[in-house]
Amino acid sequence: MFRSLANAWSNMFKPPHTVKYPFVGDVQVPSDYRGLILYDVEHCIFCDRCEKACPPKAIVFYQHDDGHKEYRYNPWLCIYCGECVRACPKADEALTHSSEKPNPASKAENVNDEWFVWQTVARESRERYAEKKKAEKAEKRAARKGEPAGPKGD
Amino acid sequence: MKKVINIPLGSQHISLLEPVRFQFKTHNEKIVEVGADVGFVHRGIERACVTQFEWKKLPYVVARVCGLCAITHSLSFTLAVEKMLEFESTRRIDYLRMLMVELDRIHSHMLCLSHTAENAGFEAMFMEVMAAREPVMDLQEAISGNRVQFDYIAIGGVHRDISPETAKEVVATLDALKPKIERLLEEFSKNWSLSLKYRGVGMLTYEEACIYNTLGPLARAAGLRTDVRLESSDLPYEEVGFEVVLEKGGDIHARNMVRLYEILNSIEMCKNIVQNLPEGEHLLKIKGKPKGEAIVRLEAPRGELMYLVRGSGKNFLDRVRIKTPTFSGIPAMVEIFKGSEYADAPAILASFDPCMSCTAK
Repeated sequence: MFRSLANAWSNMFKPPHTVKYPFVGDVQVPSDYRGLILYDVEHCIFCDRCEKACPPKAIVFYQHDDGHKEYRYNPWLCIYCGECVRACPKADEALTHSSEKPNPASKAENVNDEWFVWQTVARESRERYAEKKKAEKAEKRAARKGEPAGPKGD
Repeated sequence: MKKVINIPLGSQHISLLEPVRFQFKTHNEKIVEVGADVGFVHRGIERACVTQFEWKKLPYVVARVCGLCAITHSLSFTLAVEKMLEFESTRRIDYLRMLMVELDRIHSHMLCLSHTAENAGFEAMFMEVMAAREPVMDLQEAISGNRVQFDYIAIGGVHRDISPETAKEVVATLDALKPKIERLLEEFSKNWSLSLKYRGVGMLTYEEACIYNTLGPLARAAGLRTDVRLESSDLPYEEVGFEVVLEKGGDIHARNMVRLYEILNSIEMCKNIVQNLPEGEHLLKIKGKPKGEAIVRLEAPRGELMYLVRGSGKNFLDRVRIKTPTFSGIPAMVEIFKGSEYADAPAILASFDPCMSCTAK
């Protein structure tokens, strides 16, 4: 009993194990902490490998009609596994695994709702682009076929 | 006059960590009949594994079955796929994988001990064990780069090598943890008020353990010598000083003792692994697509975890079957509850270390 009393008394002067989180700034993380995925459009060759490798589909490329692609990344869906960086042919240039912490999202913001809409839009954009390309190709082929066929018919 | 009263425990209850429902029928305070319902957190992971995700992404998916034994889940799946692809790992890969599994066991057992203490009404002990557990979590974060979802196991190895500084940190932290565990061992075996809640409560005899196919610490506390680390040769456990921990009591006290001694054994194993880490590659390239069938058993903190994987050389697998330890332990749990006091039910339940997100998947 005396020991427990002594323990209780000494515990009153010990600092707590926990930290007062929002008030102490950032909590220390290890230097090789798996944080946000950083992207550099200058180095990207738009091979889409990161998009295919991503398990939660947090990277999506939107296909513009003029042919260029736009990279979009959802840090709240990302599981920070680094699979995209490993798949990237220009890793550490186009895609980098930083140790930066992502901003927490509150429930009220519903950050993923917009993202799921965006995913569909991006998929449709690529389908549209693929169809457009297909049609163009068919047109070209028809034109190529038509040219030699024309004089012969005459 | 004897009257039967129905008392439900769960699906939400102050002593439960995860949703499970036990329907007790009691005579006065004594439990006579028990019904169990475990399907509250069903997420359809087995189905998603064969329809939504390609096989290369599955280690990340199955890791999300459970937060506590994430590493064991992804490792079991990876071992199964590697068996199908006839991949031979290096000893360094095996050692690094074992290191993470054993660290996982240490912190999972400490979580269980803290909750057993809390459900027996000893909250100060709960906080102490939780505080002592934190450095182990930090170690795992330093090794894998993340605190809970490690995503450390890759098909063909592990994603990161361990740096010499981290290896030193592992030894230092585990050296500091050992006296704390020894103190807990003394506290759990000598504290009089805890013994009232633990000794002779929630009994499971050796015969019952055999009949109900009990696994893990629950079986070892009843004297049943069953441990996958002993029986399987997927990982070289005998090289790093693994010893089976057996107790004879079969009550909550015996289960606590099994867990505490297993933590001590795991600490020794982790130190052995880090100090005798073989040289070699930590990640090898692997080619092909899984074809055929493979079964892998691993000792998760709660008992035997079994994976059955079947594939036919396509990007999507045909079947992924996960048999988790808690699910296999339910018949024994139901049996243990019978005949004990209702007031002891939370402490007994905590001593099973049930993992419901594993069970319902």
